[in-house]
Amino acid sequence: MSVVTDSPVHSSSSDDFAAYINAALDASSPEALSDKDVENQDEFESVSRIKRRKFESIKETEGSTLEGTVKDNLAVAETSVEVDACTHPGSFGNMCIRCGQKLDGESGVTFGYIHKGLRLHDAEISRLRNTDIKNLLHHKKLYLILDLDHTLLNSTHLGHLSSEELHLLNQTDSLEDVSKGSIFKLEFMHMMTKLRPFVRTFLKEASEMFEMYIYTMGDRPYALEMAKLLDPQGEYFNAKIISRDDGTQKHQKGLDVVLGQESAVLILDDTEHAWMKHKDNLIVMERYHFFASSCRQFGFNCKSLAELKNDENENEGALTKILEVLKQVHSTFFDGLQEDLVGRDVRQVLKSVRKDVLSGCVIVFSRIIHSALPTLQKMARQMGATCLAELDPSVTHVVGTDAGTEKSRWAVKENKFLVHPRWIEAANYFWQKQPEENFALKKKHY
Amino acid sequence: MFFHIVLERNMQLHPRYFGRNLRDNLVSKLMKDVEGTCSGRHGFVVAVTGIENIGKGLIRDGTGFVTFPVKYQCVVFRPFKGEILEAVVTMVNKMGFFAEAGPVQIFVSNHLIPDDMEFQSGDIPNYTTSDGSVKIQKDSEVRLKIIGTRVDATEIFCIGTIKDDFLGVINDPTTV
Ligand SMILES: [Mg+2]
Ligand SMILES: [Zn+2]
Repeated sequence: MSVVTDSPVHSSSSDDFAAYINAALDASSPEALSDKDVENQDEFESVSRIKRRKFESIKETEGSTLEGTVKDNLAVAETSVEVDACTHPGSFGNMCIRCGQKLDGESGVTFGYIHKGLRLHDAEISRLRNTDIKNLLHHKKLYLILDLDHTLLNSTHLGHLSSEELHLLNQTDSLEDVSKGSIFKLEFMHMMTKLRPFVRTFLKEASEMFEMYIYTMGDRPYALEMAKLLDPQGEYFNAKIISRDDGTQKHQKGLDVVLGQESAVLILDDTEHAWMKHKDNLIVMERYHFFASSCRQFGFNCKSLAELKNDENENEGALTKILEVLKQVHSTFFDGLQEDLVGRDVRQVLKSVRKDVLSGCVIVFSRIIHSALPTLQKMARQMGATCLAELDPSVTHVVGTDAGTEKSRWAVKENKFLVHPRWIEAANYFWQKQPEENFALKKKHY
Repeated sequence: MFFHIVLERNMQLHPRYFGRNLRDNLVSKLMKDVEGTCSGRHGFVVAVTGIENIGKGLIRDGTGFVTFPVKYQCVVFRPFKGEILEAVVTMVNKMGFFAEAGPVQIFVSNHLIPDDMEFQSGDIPNYTTSDGSVKIQKDSEVRLKIIGTRVDATEIFCIGTIKDDFLGVINDPTTV
């Protein structure tokens, strides 16, 4: 405890005060018995509550006496803070962060992910966002919120490894230098985590365009462990790791706990419905399922990548493709004149980039399950395609699951593309029109 | 501020600790129990420095445990409003900075950082004067004034300010 020796308050005139405090503490020494190990818990609690109330009053007098002493003896200038005028913009340990006054109640938004005990009021949050956005845009950066599970990595409980995945137990990378590894066994959490291919390059390049946050539905200890694997140097996510413990609404993620202007935020997440209020900021990620438990959880009855001893391709995986989209959105946002940057909205940019993906495509759907149709149509339209109900010469694509329908046969006869709905879904994930031949619907398929 | 005071505590000891080392056992249990704890009145118990007196033990009915009243000397730390403290910066962000002085967690919001210091984001976030002569970042040592304190069972929270004469950076980690 090195502060003992160099605490500056040990000046001569404070000796009087120390003596006073000592005397005050001694005078009420029966209070010292409050530490007693009392066997009756109820009794103990009520006693300590009463005592705490007494402490409060003692503390008040001590505090004011000290102030008097300091003013008189040390002639320290008054602080410039005007207590009366303070709007109490936020609190730390239930004290106003501006005037130090004790505040009752728990008003404001909790920012426990930044520091325990920190709360901010709406006005302060918007003040901080306003100053920050200018600073950020000046550095040609935007905000990027990153989900963990199925977006940047895949984790499984050790007990849920399938028999064909057990070989992984001997193949995990060292936790000594995690920056070189991609699969880790976290014994103390009974977990195994596989980082998505390309994630390190992704984070490095994205960090040059974005101020990045992690936002996960996992709990706080999990989020911090994952951050250690993804960002061992702490250069990307320092105090910007948000877990479900920090959100303001159950089962929802919200930008209210992010100190960034919504018009400058992009979100990467595989779970669309977690972001009900911020769909326009969201880029939905194709799920990364490395482990069998993850496949099962989402109802896939196929072999996991781990069981197949396979993985996503570094150069063609989701993170690789989405990094390209991020670069495009970023450069479009900062394109041209710098003056009106604050008025720009990344959500509009995202929308326009998305509109280019299938622009020029005219789509007719053929025999799609009724419940799936609206989603597909919406996707296609957002990507700039035109959807028609009936065939006409302008149609470029017929999308269906059955090559034998009338519309399908028309497509073949008229030399139009006949593709599976996955062609639309793939374009939606990769923000790029996919080669039709990879999704062609042929006679033999049915 | 540090104080050297005498406190009293009733210690319960299991009979297996009786014998020649009874006193040593009591003292080590005392240190384990009280060092590092906080109370609203005395603040943070930094260290037990001596035993004044160990009273007569009292056998508890039915359990065999014996309660000893122990009077001990200890160093306690308790910050006061108006006190000047030196602290080490632990985190810097757009809201201000957090600093530690031993067990005390201090927050200095950007309302209480001089107006000529501006926040710089980046790999090492910091507050810097426009001429670049003064910089506050993680691990900087700062002198600050406490304007509010709250003592919990295990932690002490303070609000600090460096918006006053002779306050601010006293040691820059980059120049060491
Ligand atoms: Mg997810
Ligand atoms: Zn206030």
